[in-house]
This record gives sequence, C-alpha cells and structure tokens, in this order.
Amino acid sequence: MSVIYAFVAASLFGCGVYMVLSRNVVRLLLGLSLVATAVNLMIFQTGRIRSPQPPLIPRGASRLGESADPLPQALILTAIVIGFALTVMFAALALRSYRDRGTLVNAGAGPAEQLGDPFAGGTGDDG
Amino acid sequence: MIAWLLALALAGSGLAWPLSHLFGRRASGWLLALLPAGLFAIFLSLAPTIEAGHTITQTLAWAPSLGVDLSFRLDGFAFLFALLITGIGALVVIYSGAYMSRESDRDRARFFTLILLFMTAMLGAVLSDNLLVIFLFWEATSILSFLLIGFDADSPSARRAALMSLRLTAGGGLALLAAIILIGATIGSYSLSDAIAHTGELARSRWIVPIMVGLLFGVFTKSAQFPFHFWLPNAMQAPTPASAYLHSATMVKLGIYLLARFEPLIGAVPHGRDVVVTVAILTMLVGAVQVLRAEHFKSVLAYSTVASLGILAMLIGLDGPAATAAMVGYILAHALYKATLFFCAGSVLHTTGLSKLRAMGGLARFLPVTAAAAAFASLSMAGLPPFIGFISKEFLFLAQIQSSWDAIPLAAAVLVNAVIVGAAGVVTLRPFFMGRGRVKEVEHGETPGLLLAPVVLAFLGLLVSIEPGWISRAVLRPAAAVVYGAPVEIELSLWHGLTPMLALSAVVIGIGAVIFVFWRPIHLRLRARKSIDRYDVEDGYERLIRFIEKLAAGTARRIQHGHLRGYIQMVLGSAVVFVFWGLIAAGRAPRLPSIDQMGALRIGPAAVALIGLAGGVAATRARSLLSTMIAVGLVGLVTALIFMMNGAPDLALTQFAVESLIVVLLAIVLLVLPVAAPSTRTVRQRTTDATISIAFAALMFIILLDMGASPQHTEVSAFYGAQSYLAAFGRNVVNVILVDFRGFDTLGETTVIALSAIFAWSLLGPRTAHESAATTAAAARGHGAFILRITSPIFFRLLAVLSVATLLRGHNEIGGGFVGGLVAALAFALLALARGVARARATLRIHPLSLVGIGLLLAVSSGMPGLLLHGDFLHHVWLDVNLLGIRIHQGTALIFDLGVYTVVLGGVLAFLFGLRREAAR
Repeated sequence: MSVIYAFVAASLFGCGVYMVLSRNVVRLLLGLSLVATAVNLMIFQTGRIRSPQPPLIPRGASRLGESADPLPQALILTAIVIGFALTVMFAALALRSYRDRGTLVNAGAGPAEQLGDPFAGGTGDDG
Repeated sequence: MIAWLLALALAGSGLAWPLSHLFGRRASGWLLALLPAGLFAIFLSLAPTIEAGHTITQTLAWAPSLGVDLSFRLDGFAFLFALLITGIGALVVIYSGAYMSRESDRDRARFFTLILLFMTAMLGAVLSDNLLVIFLFWEATSILSFLLIGFDADSPSARRAALMSLRLTAGGGLALLAAIILIGATIGSYSLSDAIAHTGELARSRWIVPIMVGLLFGVFTKSAQFPFHFWLPNAMQAPTPASAYLHSATMVKLGIYLLARFEPLIGAVPHGRDVVVTVAILTMLVGAVQVLRAEHFKSVLAYSTVASLGILAMLIGLDGPAATAAMVGYILAHALYKATLFFCAGSVLHTTGLSKLRAMGGLARFLPVTAAAAAFASLSMAGLPPFIGFISKEFLFLAQIQSSWDAIPLAAAVLVNAVIVGAAGVVTLRPFFMGRGRVKEVEHGETPGLLLAPVVLAFLGLLVSIEPGWISRAVLRPAAAVVYGAPVEIELSLWHGLTPMLALSAVVIGIGAVIFVFWRPIHLRLRARKSIDRYDVEDGYERLIRFIEKLAAGTARRIQHGHLRGYIQMVLGSAVVFVFWGLIAAGRAPRLPSIDQMGALRIGPAAVALIGLAGGVAATRARSLLSTMIAVGLVGLVTALIFMMNGAPDLALTQFAVESLIVVLLAIVLLVLPVAAPSTRTVRQRTTDATISIAFAALMFIILLDMGASPQHTEVSAFYGAQSYLAAFGRNVVNVILVDFRGFDTLGETTVIALSAIFAWSLLGPRTAHESAATTAAAARGHGAFILRITSPIFFRLLAVLSVATLLRGHNEIGGGFVGGLVAALAFALLALARGVARARATLRIHPLSLVGIGLLLAVSSGMPGLLLHGDFLHHVWLDVNLLGIRIHQGTALIFDLGVYTVVLGGVLAFLFGLRREAAR
C-alpha cells in the first residue's frame, strides 16, 4: 500500500517538475502548486501510514492511543496554507507581468537583454 | 617589548595623517621622521645583547587552538633588517617631506601614512616568529606596495604597474600560505624556529615538494626573480622615495629574508640548492641584459636591483660559511648604495623633470652635493675600494671559490658584476659629470631635505669600510651566525693580500670600464634587437591576463544567459545528478519495504490515489489553462481524500477549503488571461524536460521506498501524544502541536502568510476613483446567478458561524485557527461571487491588511503572559473561571489561534480583493 502512495507522490512530483519547466508562466505556476501538493503527500508518508484513526485523545483518556502520527500532520497543515499563499501570490505576479508585457510566454529577449551584451565594450583599460 | 615597538610604529602611522596636516609643508617630513629614528635608536641600544649572541623573544597568545600566536623574535638576522628598515625609513620620511613639497596636503599626508604603515609591516614581518603572522605582514607589504605604486591614481601606467605588482606578489603569497599550512600540518606548529629546528623531519615528509614549490613561488615573486622579475621595473611608476624604500632597500629583500631563514631546508632537500642557484643565475643574466637596454635613470637602477637580488639568491643557494657572510654583507652594502642612487635620481627628477639618461648631462653644476653622493654610491656599487661595495664583492668571489660549485656561477657573477660596474658609471658619470651643457637650467636647487638622505647613506658606505669593527661585530657576524647555524668569522678589511678575489675584482672593474665607455653603442644595439622583446615575460603576462578576462566573460555569458527555463533546468538537473551520485557512493542498494511494513491494500484509497495520478498526467498534457487548473484542483481534492481516509481530518478540511479558494481566486485571474495555451516547447525540449522529470520522480520514489523500509522514530510523537492533554490541556494533538508545543514555528509561518498578503496587495493595481463607482453599479445590476444571489446571505452567515465554531473547538476536536480562517474566507468569497467585491468589502468594513496586522498582534501578544510569568515566550497560560455556573477553562492558546485565524482571513481577502481589482482594470 505504501508503495502505491510512494509511486503516486513521486509521479505527481515528476508531473509538477515537467510543468515547471514550461515557458508559459501560468503553467509554471500550476506546476509549482502540483509540486507543493506532491511534497505534502511525501511528508505525510514519513508518518508511515498505518492507522486510519485521527490523532484525537478520546474523552476519558489522558494520552493518545494507536492513531496516525500527529507530527507530520502538524507540519503539513501550515505547509498547505503557505503553499496556497505562494500559489496566489505567484498568480498576482503572473497577472501583473501579463499586463506589462502582453504575453504569458517567457521567451526571447527581455528588457535586460535589449540593452546589449555587457561584455561587448572590452575589458577595461587597466592591465 | 617587541610587541610594544610594533604597536608604537602602528600608532605612529595612524597619527601620521593628522600630524602631517598639523605640521605643515616644511616641517612634517622632519618631525614625522622622529618615529622611525626613535625606533632605530631603540634597536641600536639592543646591539650589545645581540652582539653577545642572545635572542630577544616575546610571545602573546592569540588563538592557541589554531596555532596562531603573536610570537616575536629578535636575533642577529632580524636585527640587521630592523636597523635597515628603521634607519632608511627615517631618511625616506625626511626625503619625502622635501620631495612631496609641491603636492597637496592631502597627498602628502597619504604618502607619509603609507610609508610609515609599510615600515610597520616590514618590521612585523622580520620580527615575527609565527609563520602565519609573517604571512599576514607579507601580504600587508604587498598591499601597501600596490597603494604606493599606484599613488598617482590618475595615471593609467601607474595603475597598470600597481595591479601587476599586486597580482604577482599576492599570487606568490597564496602559494606561500599553502606551503605554510603544509608545514604546520607536518610538524604540528606554525613557529618559524620550530620549522628550522625540524628541518630533517620536513625534508623527509611526503609534502616536501609542495612545500618547496609554494615557498619558492612566494619568495621568487616577492624578490623579483626570473620569471617574475618584470613587476619591479614597472614599479618605478611609484614616487621615488617609495621606490628607494620599497623596491631597493626593504620590501624586495623580504623574499631574500625568508629564503635565508629556510636555507637549511633548501640544503636538506635534494636539488634544492640547484634550483635556487639556477633561477638566481637566470635572474642575474636577464637583469644584466636589461640594464644595458634601459632608458630611464630609475629603470637602470631597477634592473640592476633585479641583478643584485639574483646575486643574493645565488649566495643563499651556495653552500659554505663564506656564502652566508657574503650575503649578509651584500644586503647591507646594496641597501646603502642603491637607496642613495634612488634618492639622487629623485632629486634629478624633482629639479629638472628629466628621467631619460640620454637627455641628462652636466648636472654637477646645479646639484653638486647630490653629484658627490651619487659618485660615492656608484663607486661602492662598482666595487671600488675603499667603499663597502668592494669588500662585499671580495666576499662574493670568496664564497663562489669556496663553494662546491664549479665555474658557471663564477663566470656569470663576473659578467653580471661587470655590467653592474658599467651601469654604475652610466648612472653617475654620464648625467652628472659628462655632457656639459646638455641641461641648461633647473627648476630649483638642492634643498636640505633632499640632500640629507643621500649624503648620510653615501657617507655610511664609506665609513663602514674604514672603521668596520663595530658593524661586523654587532650586526654582520650575529646575522651570519643565525643563518648559517654556527658562528662565522667575518673580517671586514680593505686589504686581504694578493688573493684570487682581488684578481677577479680587477677583471670585473676592467670589463666594467669597457662597458661604460662603449655604453652608448651597446645600449642602442641591444634596444634595436626586437627578438629580446619577443621572449619578454611581461608580454606573456599581458596575454595571460587577457585570456583570463576573456575566459571569465565567456563563462559568465554562457551561464548567466537570462532564460528562466535554463536556470531551472540547471538546478534540477544538477540536483538529480548529485543525489544519484550520493546514493551510489553510499554503497548499499536502496531497500524495499517488507510486506507488513507496506500495510494492507485498501481498494478505496488505492483507487483514489490512482485517480490523482491520472489528474497529474492530464495536467501536463492539457492545452488549455482552464483544464490545467481543473486537473491540478483534482489532484488537490484527491490529496484531501487521502488525508481523510488515513486519519488526518484536520488536513483534509484544510485541503478542501484551500482547493475551493484556489478555484475562486485563480478563476478571477484566468478570466482575463488568454486561456488557450499551446505547447511552448519544441519536441526536443519536451524530451529533455521529460527526462529530467522522470529522473527526479524515480529518485523520489527510491528515497520514499528506502524510507519506508527503515524503522520509524516515534519518540517525539509519543511525547506529544502523552503530554498533549496533561500539559497543554488539549485533545486535538495536531492543534496542540501547532499552537502550543511548536507555537513559535507557527508564528513564523503566520508571518509568512501576512507578508505574502502585503506583497500581493502592493503588487496589484491601485484604486482609482471611477473604479469603485463602476463596480458598485455592476453590483447593483446583479452579478451572479439569481439563486446564488438570494441564498448567499444565508450561506454567508452559516459559514461565518461555522468558522467561529471551528476556531473555538479546535483545541479539543477537529478544527483550529487555520481551518477556521479559511472557512471564513470562503464565506466572503461566496459573498463576492454572488454580490460583487464591493459588497463583500463593505461587509468586512475594515481593510483586509488591517485584519492581518490585528491577527499578528494577537498572536504575538498571546505569548507575552508566558514571557512575563514563566520567562518563556509563547508558554501558554491557562485560566480556570466559573462564569454563572459554567466552568470555563481557556488560555492564551485560544488568543493565539484567533490571531492565526485573523491573519489567514485577512490574507486571503487581501488576495481576493486585490486580484478582483486588478482583473477589473
């Protein structure tokens, strides 16, 4: 069973990486989101998925019995929210960049390249 | 004692700037010279101790664990150098006062400071016993030499010469550092005296070749040996007092100093002496040839210094006590006459502005005292009696005859010395006493400041040979004894009888006179031969520098190409390569988990996971951004289901909420972006990317499998599980970890959310007056579907209540600040969808970023009671109160959670309103 989860998480990671290498900004963004999700799944597996019991101390008891591992869950919770914030922040960037450049595709010469080759003018006058 | 002297020198250099301004143009040279003169007097007072053969040491612990101690050592050899450094330093300062009289106050102050700092550095280098401290002062002299050569920073040739000297000497210094570290690693101590004492052990160690190479590189670059000699003539760009001090009397001799200290090691290494003598002879010959070709007064002096340094190196390479005696004597003689000649050259330059020899003549008429001093110095340089140069030359020949080498060094020495004799004549007789009438007028006559230095030194050269007793007893003999390792008999007297050395001296003077007479045709013939230029090492240096610069530019152009995709590829690709390499280097194969480690197969979660995989693959293949978003959302939902089915309900709730919000927010964005997104990569690029992705995915898979096979460490989770109720009064262990045990981390993450909200808000378009009117009008017209509009107030209130309930129950049941905040944000998102953003903003009443700020404030202040009561920030404090019969048990943990709730709500709303505003522009 854990092999299936591992396989799915790793493959999702690979799909995300493939999308991150795209030239389209929004595809990059969605690929990043996919990578974040896949990583959350991976962190979840450090808890060795065995028990479907949530980590809640039942009424009457004072310690946790057999249940899922609470520590990775705590780590993933904030990771989910931060991944979401990252995705939306990136979307804002993409929107702004589209407004400024008129295109979503990262290709060709940008404003820096249009200034010319920085090394073209020779290497200075001092030996 | 020694440390105090160095500290005094350093303090004096620091004060030189203000004092120079204070004393003014006329007096600053004389008054500032009191510092080096005082130091000279102090050292002189130590002469009886040194003469008796004692050594003065002092050690200050600095970093004992690293083997760096400020250990100082004044023995005979260091004593000789200390006298030279401080004595000539005093004269240089006086001379500079007169030489720089025409410069601005600021330049003069700068020059004095640099000269005095340099003196401190040189003293530190010769007085140190710790090799690392010597290296420190070595590099300091290189840097100060750079600053002095490039003193006239407006001149491109000065800058070029300064850079050249810095590159060469600093490069050599680096090699020297490597040698020092290897020495330290071999004998376990960085002390110079220890290194000399353990010479045998060093010579037998397996690092001896790198040590020798590093040491010789450092020494040869500093002392201008072939092929590193070309920086010295270029260093003549420096003001003449600096040239007199650095490039004749002291700095270039620093390499000779270190080489002499390590002479036992050179002798112990097979072929060590051979290498040194060979390089020295080459240096001598190259120097001699270039002396004849040189056009400028200072260039002749520079090249003859190169030749003299070659002679010194050769004397160190030769074995026998006479060689050591000759070296010590020659150091003294050379310093005296070369500095004098440099001073005279400077005087000529200062008064006439001339630097080329062929243009000078008859200057004795205008500069009589200078001419006399130059004559004395030249006679010493030529090795004529009764000057000290004569005596040292006799010793030179004696050393060669007594050494175990055959005739080649002797022949080379005869030739080179002859050339030096010729140069001496050229440098004095021609400009001063011959060619009467070539120079018609001078700008000014000789001033006392310009005269004192050359006259004193020239006189000393004479005095030492007429009354040599004290010098040989107090200075030369102890110095030679230290270097040779045993007492050495030195008899400085003018007449030793009819010896072979006398015959050789006569031969040298004869040939030298011939060269002098025929100097002009020899000089012109050698200058005309272009083949000598072709083999010039300086040209090779220039080409090397150009090559390095081109290489750097080419590399930068290739690696910093400006394409995001290329950068990401490089990062990911190298990550894959290195991790795979690490896995292979670990040696063992990755393990597979056993059957019971894997867990039983459950059809439900397995199917859901595979659907997720299908979603991921669909996302990569989608050609419309909307489909991609839906596919990614599908993967998110699948993740939430996996969380739910495997005992992580908090995570599932959060993930569901996040997926809904992402759909809402990204839809706003995608509605204004072009949704059709054909592939932007060629087939070949796609194949490369697919390879990298598959490799990375395979890597992750292997890592996850191996992790599954290793035993899990559950101590931390067991602790949390045990203490969550007892110590933190919470049943929801996940929430307790977030809010209590790991509260500080959560505070940090909340801050991240806050910052991203501020960033997004500032990035998205500014509000304009007419925009709000338009949106209110649109809202009034009706935004969304009819049913949604009617039911939205109900759902809004329901969701709001649900969010608060989630927050309040989070500590003991499923819920918490994060989930609560997301649900509240969903409520507002629903309102915005149904009735428009303006309505949602009006319902919120306050600015979303204000919410963020309030939330952060709440979160931080929830930690304060703990800080005040327990001394621990975020140590939550709990209250037990009885309110109207209801027992309330709450604490600052709830306030913290409330803070998180508010930040998440404010943050998501900032995103929502900002994106809506930007999209509507």
